[in-house]
Amino acid sequence: MEKAPTPVFKRSLFSWVFSGNIKLQVILLIIVVVTVFARVLPLEMQKRIINEAINLRKIDLLLIYCGIYIAAVVLASGLKFLINVLQSIIGQQAAASMRKGLYHHILTLPLNFFRRTQPGMVVASLITELATAGDFIGMAVAIPVTSVLTLLAIAGYLFWLNPLLAALSLSIYPLVVFLLPWLQKKANRENKKRVDTTRDLSSKIAESISGIHEIQGNGAFGIENRKYDRLVDKLTKVRIRWNIYRFAIKVSNNFFNNLSPFIIFILGGYLAIKGRLELGALVAFLSAQEKLFDPWRELIDFYQSYQDASVSYKRTMEYFDAESEYVLEPADRKPFELDGNIEIKDLSFATETGVRLLSEINVSLKSGQHLALVGFSGSGKSTLALCIGQLYNYTGGNLLIGEKEVATLTKKDIVQNVGFVSQSPFIFDGTIEENLLYACRAKLNSNDAAPDSSLPSLDDMIEVLQQTGIFVDVLRFGLNTVLAYDHDKTFVAKIIRVRENFQRNYGRTLTDYVEFFDDDRYLYYSSISENLILGTPGREEFSEKKLLRNDYFTTFLKQADLTRPLMNLGADLSRQTVDILGNLPPDEVFFQQSPINADELEEYRLLAERLRKTKLHQLSIPDQERLLELALRFTPGRHKMAALPEVLEKLILEGRALFRDKISKDDPGAVSFYDISEYIYSQTILNNIFFGKTKAESPQAQEKINQSIIQLLIAEDLLEAVIKIGMDFQVGSKGDKLSGGQRQKLAIARVFLKDPKIMILDEATSALDNKSQARIQNLLETRWKGNSTVIAVVHRLDIIKNYDRVAVMKAGKIGELGSYDELMAKKGMLYELVHGTK
Amino acid sequence: MNSSMEQNEMCPTCEFDKNLSILREIYFFSELPLDTLKVLAYLCTRENFKSGEYLFHQKEDDGRAFYLISGQARMFHEEGGSTVIIRDFDKDTFIGSLALLGSFRRLFSLQALTDMTCLILERQKFAKVLEQFPAIMPRVLQAAAGSIYSWEKKFLAQMDEGCDKCRRKLGVSVV
Repeated sequence: MEKAPTPVFKRSLFSWVFSGNIKLQVILLIIVVVTVFARVLPLEMQKRIINEAINLRKIDLLLIYCGIYIAAVVLASGLKFLINVLQSIIGQQAAASMRKGLYHHILTLPLNFFRRTQPGMVVASLITELATAGDFIGMAVAIPVTSVLTLLAIAGYLFWLNPLLAALSLSIYPLVVFLLPWLQKKANRENKKRVDTTRDLSSKIAESISGIHEIQGNGAFGIENRKYDRLVDKLTKVRIRWNIYRFAIKVSNNFFNNLSPFIIFILGGYLAIKGRLELGALVAFLSAQEKLFDPWRELIDFYQSYQDASVSYKRTMEYFDAESEYVLEPADRKPFELDGNIEIKDLSFATETGVRLLSEINVSLKSGQHLALVGFSGSGKSTLALCIGQLYNYTGGNLLIGEKEVATLTKKDIVQNVGFVSQSPFIFDGTIEENLLYACRAKLNSNDAAPDSSLPSLDDMIEVLQQTGIFVDVLRFGLNTVLAYDHDKTFVAKIIRVRENFQRNYGRTLTDYVEFFDDDRYLYYSSISENLILGTPGREEFSEKKLLRNDYFTTFLKQADLTRPLMNLGADLSRQTVDILGNLPPDEVFFQQSPINADELEEYRLLAERLRKTKLHQLSIPDQERLLELALRFTPGRHKMAALPEVLEKLILEGRALFRDKISKDDPGAVSFYDISEYIYSQTILNNIFFGKTKAESPQAQEKINQSIIQLLIAEDLLEAVIKIGMDFQVGSKGDKLSGGQRQKLAIARVFLKDPKIMILDEATSALDNKSQARIQNLLETRWKGNSTVIAVVHRLDIIKNYDRVAVMKAGKIGELGSYDELMAKKGMLYELVHGTK
Repeated sequence: MNSSMEQNEMCPTCEFDKNLSILREIYFFSELPLDTLKVLAYLCTRENFKSGEYLFHQKEDDGRAFYLISGQARMFHEEGGSTVIIRDFDKDTFIGSLALLGSFRRLFSLQALTDMTCLILERQKFAKVLEQFPAIMPRVLQAAAGSIYSWEKKFLAQMDEGCDKCRRKLGVSVV
């Protein structure tokens, strides 16, 4: 076996310095050496300019030396920039490898690990903590080498010039080496005290504010003031001491820095007067002295960042110091294709703390047999299912799938043969289609996106959507899509035909659920801007987003006497919405019925604040526009936090007529008004079919609408095309745009599509309605019995009658095992579960 | 015509304000602070049911609580093949606080007896609000436990003395 690489969490901080970066680091070293040379060269030039060029009054030498001087300075600066660039590349690359390595490792950690780990902790580790380490890796070679080499080179040069003067002027540095760290330590200690005291003070303030009732009720101002003042005094003292140390560090740094020139002047001056030191050498000494300071400070900073980085790196890696329980992929063979036989012998599972969750489990299943695991919560049925799926590592006994011990199989072997639907399945951000193909993609290729040919076809996908009952939901997503202007024209023409059929066959019966577009009536389920224009913009400046920047439109609003009442409405809306949603996170649920989007809330919060102090006409122009914008979005049927005043409604209807007249005369191409024989590209497919908008989102309304629409789509052979559009629906982060039932159906569809040899269903249908549950159960029995082995953790006992075997679990053991009829006839535990305990 | 619109045209108060005052009068919500109630009132939706339509079905987990704004509803229990009428609910009744707290399949069906308008709150939304205002959890639990307790208390007070069989099944408040 080849030597396994050190796991990421065992690697030392320094191991990242050269890994994958050797070339860059070597280039960096070469540049550093050249830089050091380029830094020392000007010193020698200074000396020669004075000694040779000036002293001997030689212009040509002056020009040559100055030329070399400036070239060295330019070179040194250019190289310094290059060093910084390389340093940053190395640092960022190291941080990226750490982040990738650690993330890849974290995903393989046992489920137990995540039970005690907060997602926030993982986020902070991967993002913040490793950034410090990465920055350090970037400087790990460049800074110390540059600084030390510079120091050595300058010191060497000084000794070469004059050993005595060099020794004396450098003699203060050992002193600095001791004094500065000592001061720094003191300052750090005070800083820690400052942080602690600030925390005490903060919690004191928070306590007083939340207990303000009690303070005011008791008139306990004196007591609380004293407690608070004491802490403030303490903080003041700590801060003063902290500042004193900080300034002491700064001042001594400066002092030592200035002390050197003093020594150089007094001793160097004396030597120069005596003719034992050239004037040029003295100047070189002086500027070398200045140049010593930078590398020195860089070294101190470097030490500090090393401390910070090593602490945060060590803490992070220690936190994730755990091994995956399984090998991910087989090294020297293809993944096994197992048969579906399952043999469980004397299986047990205990937690780390020794609590036995499963014991003495014995079950055997032939390939294609179906087993239901039932029992009260906590009886161990889910645990057993998770052990079979290799998500928990059983601690005793044997568990064989296709005669192979599960504990010895790699993750890839399991993934190849087992499909899993968990109790609360997780749906990832992306489209319906991506989620549907999730398991298939993972099975086909763990590294790269698989070629499309080996993935299920559209027909396969549609079939599982129908089987799991999520078909109608996906259809709905498709219908709620706004098509692009360049969408297939035959599709659009067919939708117009569907519209005609809809009006003819269902128009009357669905008036309770649909608000049809009507030139003469106010539309409560359309926005005010839609009500005013009732048409599709022919040009960009008449699109909903740009209306308020369109002078023609704003002038029209004024003419129609709408500006002020709309601004008033906007003010009302922003006040109410901010009041209701003010402190809520940007969650889909909270913002569904809000005219203000989550990302605009802060802006409108500030505006609402200004509205409290200012009259409408005193607001700035941008604020007035913001209010108008909000009002134009207002849709009374959806946004229930404000009412549409009757007067305004009338004004808008009049405005609609005025706008029509005006624009038809002034600019006929600007807007095409809704026409029952034309497709409306600014509206969804469904609204196009309706030639209106849905009023109600209730289940009954949806059911009625769906029934009619599906028939019409089938008649025009459009069903598949709309489903295809619906599969591009973005489900949102964690699938939060889907209901619990939809998520579960999608998860089941995902497994059905994968069609594995063994299916583990952990209360997979718990969130579904009766019909969907029955449909899926029926499908398991007709399509998968005999083909796939099914282990289903079941909560509802009315669906287990046709399972081959039923295991009743109690306290981690199987109490009864047999067919449903056998167990019911026995009148034992299952009978008791079905009929309730006496 | 949608009922909310009719109200809208008749008086200038918005639906949100009306929802808020309804919630404040429901025992289950009455203890909650105003900022939480506002969010709940905002998240509530109104739905119309035609006579004969079902609000929920037995064995379904619809996860919704209903306040009957207008109309009447009848509760049924399906036993074997037959359907037994349990009781009728009049307007201003709140039904389904437990459905907000956890996932249960209904033991009864509820059908609109007349055309109705209901204020509806979904468990999913209620759960999101609880997530945001975790401090209200004790009050919600208190209200849930309290309503079970007062139900049984009332039942005991009104119980027919002859109903000996029922008496043996009493004690839901001590589960």
